[in-house]
Amino acid sequence: MDHLDLLQSVELFEGVTQDELKLLASICRVQNYPPGEVITSQGESGDEIFIVQQGFVEVIRSGLTPEAGPRTVVNLGEGQIFGEMALVDHGPRSATIKAASNPTSVLVIMREDFERACEQNYHLGYIVMRNIAADLSFKLRHRNLTGR
Amino acid sequence: MAAIYKVSYVVSGEAHPGAILNTGRRPKKGDLVTLGTRPYQVVEVIDLIPPRGEFRYLHATVKPADSNGAS
Repeated sequence: MDHLDLLQSVELFEGVTQDELKLLASICRVQNYPPGEVITSQGESGDEIFIVQQGFVEVIRSGLTPEAGPRTVVNLGEGQIFGEMALVDHGPRSATIKAASNPTSVLVIMREDFERACEQNYHLGYIVMRNIAADLSFKLRHRNLTGR
Repeated sequence: MAAIYKVSYVVSGEAHPGAILNTGRRPKKGDLVTLGTRPYQVVEVIDLIPPRGEFRYLHATVKPADSNGAS
């Protein structure tokens, strides 16, 4: 599956035009991780958004107290995005993300490239921001269902 | 373009955080799915929210496949 094929199946880009998808595909790069490798760390600053291309990643939240310890809150598979919170609010990473399968392959888009594309094309910017909101909503629904 | 199913998998019977992933086929009761490294069997599938564009949003409850010898 090439970048364009994957992007067509990602909810984040549902509703964008083919030309816009091609633009997005041009600013993606592929990154592969062995199982267990940390992709992002909770509390660090982040300049990228990620899309799972193949395999699974584990989303791990550390508790507010040392006693609580780290806890996996969800696994994300093909087509799912992560890193979007730091993209939207420029805050620190809200969770640690680890590769959880062999292989784990993700597409990476730098925030600067992503924001430039959205600012230069308001249609693209509107669609993507709407879809980020929808994705966050879906993740909340999942969390409500799992009770974690 | 064919429908894309975005599925929230919730595991019953063990402490598991579940998973979210896209699939090109609607899961159905009895299917086996691999979440991470382990197989699970689908117990129930419901529509979670209304479809939008090509996307269908589902909630599936699964159980460990080895709990009844299904793996």
